[in-house]
Amino acid sequence: MRSFSEYNPVVITIYIFSVTGIAMFCNYPLLIGMTFFGGVLYYIVRNGRSHWRSHIFFFMLFVVLAAANPLVSHNGVTILFVMNDNPVTLEALLYGINSAAMIVGVLYWFRNFTQIMTSEKLLYVTGALSPKLSLVLSMSLRFVPMFHRQSESVSDAQKAMGLFKEDNVIDDVRGKMRIFSIIITWALENGIITADSMAARGFGTGKRSHFTNFRFRRGDIIFLLTDLALLGICVAAIAGHCLELDFYPKIRGSAIGAGAIAGAAAYGLLVLMPVIIETEASLRWRYLKLKI
Amino acid sequence: MNGIRNKTLRNTVRVAVPFIIVPMLAIGGSLAFDRKRHIIISLAIAIFALLLFAAGFEKRNTGTRRMVIAAVMIALCFAGRFIPFLKPISALTIIAGIYLGGETGFLVGAMTAVLSNFYFGQGPWTAFQMLAWGLIGLIAGLLSEPLRRSRIFLLIYGAAAGMMYSFIMDIWTVLWYAEGFEVKLYLAALGTAIPYTASYVVSNVLFLSLLAKPFGEKLQRIKKKYGV
Repeated sequence: MRSFSEYNPVVITIYIFSVTGIAMFCNYPLLIGMTFFGGVLYYIVRNGRSHWRSHIFFFMLFVVLAAANPLVSHNGVTILFVMNDNPVTLEALLYGINSAAMIVGVLYWFRNFTQIMTSEKLLYVTGALSPKLSLVLSMSLRFVPMFHRQSESVSDAQKAMGLFKEDNVIDDVRGKMRIFSIIITWALENGIITADSMAARGFGTGKRSHFTNFRFRRGDIIFLLTDLALLGICVAAIAGHCLELDFYPKIRGSAIGAGAIAGAAAYGLLVLMPVIIETEASLRWRYLKLKI
Repeated sequence: MNGIRNKTLRNTVRVAVPFIIVPMLAIGGSLAFDRKRHIIISLAIAIFALLLFAAGFEKRNTGTRRMVIAAVMIALCFAGRFIPFLKPISALTIIAGIYLGGETGFLVGAMTAVLSNFYFGQGPWTAFQMLAWGLIGLIAGLLSEPLRRSRIFLLIYGAAAGMMYSFIMDIWTVLWYAEGFEVKLYLAALGTAIPYTASYVVSNVLFLSLLAKPFGEKLQRIKKKYGV
């Protein structure tokens, strides 16, 4: 009864890469449409009616990307109209719309991914690949607010000593530069002290553990297996040339057979998995609340 | 500090990442696969190059001090990305490459991309940003002697790095959009990116001319004082 964001980070990462990987690998319009629809739907399920600004941004991006291809590329046989002695073709326009839907759809998926994967979860995933790099990342994450605090206290001290005034622009800029210089020296020295302290406590002598432990639960394994099975069907359909479409010179798709239907159905289910999980979780919650 | 085995490993990674993997991207992608697969091939190879670097970094006995200094540089780069219009990331990456060695330069550039994208949005482009910024730092490390000696060469390298970053990222834009490389689209993308390219070049030259000397002195001092 967990929501999708509470699943194991490794599982979520594999899921996101399987959805967007298929979208970038295959240009079949039906699959692209599913990617787009699934991404937007899950974004709305997660965020409700807020974030309309990003929806507007994505819409404008979609329009620009869709218009770019027919204006640059003049392949295709069906001429819609002629602009500046260059033919604008139906095929190029549809190709542009398809590409734009793919890019904006993948952007929506990654927007969801960025919302779900907090830095802590990403450190868990990178920690599995390389503990050292993950340590460097998590240290930098901590340094940013630390430098900010330190620069404020340095600035306060400097102002209290009367070393610069904020109402004089030149004086202000000079003072800021000085603070910046102080902060860098301090940060580097502080880094050395941190490193020595780490070494003194036996860093690098044993296996490192994580701050948060994400366990693999039964739900995670079921989710992962389902994801891989659906991905496998979809990849098989694409590799078997069941889901192919050429835009140029004329739009010509592969015949619709059992392979195409299976591949598309698998991908449709794959795309809807987070939404299904969220709906199931919220329905159960409502049911439990009703029972009280 | 490092044994011979580690040294050869370091040199292998140093040479393999920029000079073998990246050309493989271009040649392998265009010969072995049809144009639809370019994007996946390039993405796979970018990730492979990064994994190779991570593996090398993991194996090697990098000093704790060096690692922490790299983390400090990454945090500074990350904070710098919030400055509007002018981005000091490449400049700081170049400085890190020159004074702390190419590998640390690569580390700083690549990790800054990952870290700052927590705020600016992760995506498949993260791999390419990592590679682009990492290579800027790595090459700065390889050219560290002449870059340290000549200020003019340093500024020229900064300008070239800004343009290189833009060109690499536009290759990715076109591959993503058209699922194959089209020269016409690439030129169009380069055209629309001119303001960005200009801002990269200007901020690199500006920040390098402002920061290279004082920053270099500070890093040198730390190296001398603590023997990093």
